Amino acid sequence: MSVTSDKRAPGVRISDLSVVYRTPAGELPAVRGIDLELVPGTITGVVGESGSGKSTLALSLLNAVQPPGRISAGSVEIDGLGDVVALGGDDLRRARGRHVGYVFQAAQSSLNPLKTVGKQLLDLGRSHDVEDLPGLVKEARSLLDRMGMDGARVLDSHQHELSGGMRQRVGIMLALVLNAHLVVLDEPTTALDMITQATILRIIREVHEERGLTTLVITHDLGVVAEVADRLAVMYGGRVVEQGPTREVLGDPRHPYTRGLLQAIPRLVGDIDEARALPGRPPTLGTIPADGCVFRERCAVRMDVCETGEPPVLTQGPRIVACHAADMGPEAVTEPAKERQTVTAGVGDTPTTGEEQA
Amino acid sequence: MITGKGITKTFRQRGGMLGGREVKALRGVDFTIEKGGAVSFIGESGCGKTTLGRILAGLESYDSGEIVIDGVPMSSLRQKSRQPHFRRIQLIHQDPYSALNPARTIHQALDAPLSLRAKQTGRSRAWMEERAEELLSLVGLDPGYVLPRYPHQLSGGMRQRVVIARALTVDPDMLVADEATSMIDVSLRLGILALLKDLRDRLGVSVLFITHDVATARYIGLDGELYVIYRGQVVERGPVETVIADPVHPYTQSLLSAIPVLHGLEVPGEERVVPTEAVDPSQQDAACLFAARCPFRTERCVSELPVLGHDGGTLQEHACFHPQRRSVVATPAVQL
Amino acid sequence: MTATTIMPEARTASATLRRNFWRGVWRVMKRKPSRMVGVVIMAGFAFMGIFGPMLYPERLPRDTSALYAAPSWAHPFGTDFEGTDVLALVVTGSRYVLLTGLVTAVITVVLGAGIGLFAGFRRGRWDSVLMRITDMKLTIPGLPLLLVLSTIWKFTSAIEMGLVLGLLGWGGVARAVRAQTLSLRERGFVEAARGLGLSTTHIIGKELLPSMAPYIAMNMLIAVTGAVYAQVGLFFLGVLPFEANNWGVMLNLAVFGGGALTTTAALPYLLAPLLAILLLTLGIVLVVDAMDEIFNPRLREE
Repeated sequence: MSVTSDKRAPGVRISDLSVVYRTPAGELPAVRGIDLELVPGTITGVVGESGSGKSTLALSLLNAVQPPGRISAGSVEIDGLGDVVALGGDDLRRARGRHVGYVFQAAQSSLNPLKTVGKQLLDLGRSHDVEDLPGLVKEARSLLDRMGMDGARVLDSHQHELSGGMRQRVGIMLALVLNAHLVVLDEPTTALDMITQATILRIIREVHEERGLTTLVITHDLGVVAEVADRLAVMYGGRVVEQGPTREVLGDPRHPYTRGLLQAIPRLVGDIDEARALPGRPPTLGTIPADGCVFRERCAVRMDVCETGEPPVLTQGPRIVACHAADMGPEAVTEPAKERQTVTAGVGDTPTTGEEQA
Repeated sequence: MITGKGITKTFRQRGGMLGGREVKALRGVDFTIEKGGAVSFIGESGCGKTTLGRILAGLESYDSGEIVIDGVPMSSLRQKSRQPHFRRIQLIHQDPYSALNPARTIHQALDAPLSLRAKQTGRSRAWMEERAEELLSLVGLDPGYVLPRYPHQLSGGMRQRVVIARALTVDPDMLVADEATSMIDVSLRLGILALLKDLRDRLGVSVLFITHDVATARYIGLDGELYVIYRGQVVERGPVETVIADPVHPYTQSLLSAIPVLHGLEVPGEERVVPTEAVDPSQQDAACLFAARCPFRTERCVSELPVLGHDGGTLQEHACFHPQRRSVVATPAVQL
Repeated sequence: MTATTIMPEARTASATLRRNFWRGVWRVMKRKPSRMVGVVIMAGFAFMGIFGPMLYPERLPRDTSALYAAPSWAHPFGTDFEGTDVLALVVTGSRYVLLTGLVTAVITVVLGAGIGLFAGFRRGRWDSVLMRITDMKLTIPGLPLLLVLSTIWKFTSAIEMGLVLGLLGWGGVARAVRAQTLSLRERGFVEAARGLGLSTTHIIGKELLPSMAPYIAMNMLIAVTGAVYAQVGLFFLGVLPFEANNWGVMLNLAVFGGGALTTTAALPYLLAPLLAILLLTLGIVLVVDAMDEIFNPRLREE
């Protein structure tokens, strides 16, 4: 965990968060019963495949889940902002940008092609009632310079004049320029080249340290998380199945899914036959099992109890795993799924509403 | 066997007759792909690797150079009669979502090329039906499930398998897989890679693998060759393991250094090379193409263009005046 | 196993596909009641156009004792200046109007989609030439041309009328279809078809056309309304001689002969054809709404 003197880096506590989507087949959960804490001043990485609910989780942080989806239960407490699930209207709009900076999944294509970056920056400033627009431009320019670009020139450019990596940096600038201290990056390096990706990841790390941020990185790529994140949460079928310090989780994965995912990545050295594909395929909204473990159909160590029993949440120090088969050693704390509480130490009890599945 | 010699291709960007900017996508690329072999092209986007794949699949023309397919030089043929030869090279698209027509079932998608094939070889409808089922089984799909379905009813991984099965309908000699797994879920990628590897063994199909992910290239063809392309020039070429373990060109080293390290599971290489960022590609040609970004450049690099060769007694070929082996790749810290 | 024993199997497969398609169409239609209303209205007009005129004698009976009669059970929309039943006029006049609309729509879509597809797929010289022609065609003002044409041509048959309107109307469709073709031809599945060596006919007919089907179907339906407005307008303005029984003729006579705008007597005579046009448009608009879902297998199946 990086220690920053900046006290403004907010902490975030997500408690028992559930998001459902309305479909012809009824309301289906995209995210279910998630407990996750973003420690102030750290980078948390959320890893998951398509349909794991990771992007929905990111949107929940802004209370920006679009219909037909809605947050059906739980809370998202952000320091200095309160529970964003309860926020609405103008308060919510102001919070986005000022408190929470969001870099969209397709940041490379989310700029308006008809306006220069500078014009879009001013639009952003005006919509957030920024009085000191010259100051905003100055801040933007210094941010861009910081990220290794010619700020003045970039502000005068249109989207098509910038490369993918430059657009991504513009996206980061727009997320930070209103002085947000909580930043969410959704797939920040997808569609970028290896070298550009490495540069962007380095920039994310550096800017994070310098500005004293709390950062959440959403990605499908374990490598990206490994490079930037202090903590790692692995999502599958709308659940967080494992979380803990990145190095510990990667070095000693406890959940069969995390282990399978790591094994499925071809490596640059060693025996290529060590790489093994995970059988089956990730569930979609409609095929996520309602009871029992969401991963059981692809699991190598599945047992009878996985069919029906909600996996217990096992905690050992900073590591948390939700699995019937995980062996966390004698000192592990087991919490039966039924009476799950907030598991991270030092977090106040938040009242949870409904939606505890049988 | 498929060989290419001095393939060049220049794109003229829009701007009309007056102000069109030229982009040299390929600057004289040589390559050889054995029957059943595997060759991987790695490089950044815009380096020309995709263009080469499209040229080989007959979807793009080339300006100069010679392509020889199974002993037949393409220059000896008229444009029209080249097509059947290029058809023996099938492109697997990066995006399995757009590679299948959303309005047509898998049965229809396979039927069209199969009926063409049946007409050429004088086979019956029965053969077509059988062949469709055979090919789907070959790529690991259940024909009964897949055939009547529309693409949107299948997952990305299944779609990519259908695309591969469709490419196999014409009994190709080579598959060109252009970032064929980049849009597929991480846990399913290895399955597609393993399938391509398997097709090499079982059908003797050679695979040209185009990617920026070196590890997947290694997985497909440990016995194959790796070509590293930078701005249309092959800057390093050699056996996969050699290029990965002992890269000599600073660009290859930069690419390999940029691969994320799974900290906790791996230890980063000691001599990682961090290049400066991509610069405006309008520099003059009488210099090493990578010189502007190279941390090790000298006077010579900016006044002369290095050519591919074994200078300095390296195992692999390279285009660098100062070849120097550096260990940049991460090594495992623990065994899973 | 011989080919002959398998052939029926293959045929069943495509028959199943067709059956599934129509089942899907039914599902899409049922999704919104408004669509069913649209279908019923359109079916009603089709019935009227095909069988309606058969219900009446060649020369409609006149009741000279009841000129401009008010609506009654015998004459739901009253009678005209000669004492002819207005409803009968609307029904017998529908055939010309609808047939014209149909012919126009078919010509617009066939010419427009054909030229657009060909230009977009071939690109290069063909594209330039065809699009220049299209541009030229688009600059020809339709109404003045029709005025000129009507001086030498009587448009006694609906097919002639439809032909002229169709030839005047394909430009917009051609441009739009060409634009779509240009973007579609870069799509993976079209490239794959080229790489597999499939014929141009296959690519255009089986790959590109189905992807544009909703758009083309929509245009076709909208072209029907366009054609109805255009010809009714022409007859209303009195540009064309009153040879045929036609809604436009009725409007013209109601306004200029019956003074429907100033007196109430001829009002039903004016309103009846207007109502027919309105209903037809409504039916088409309600059905157009379903086109996207009908031709997109994903939306159709769900």
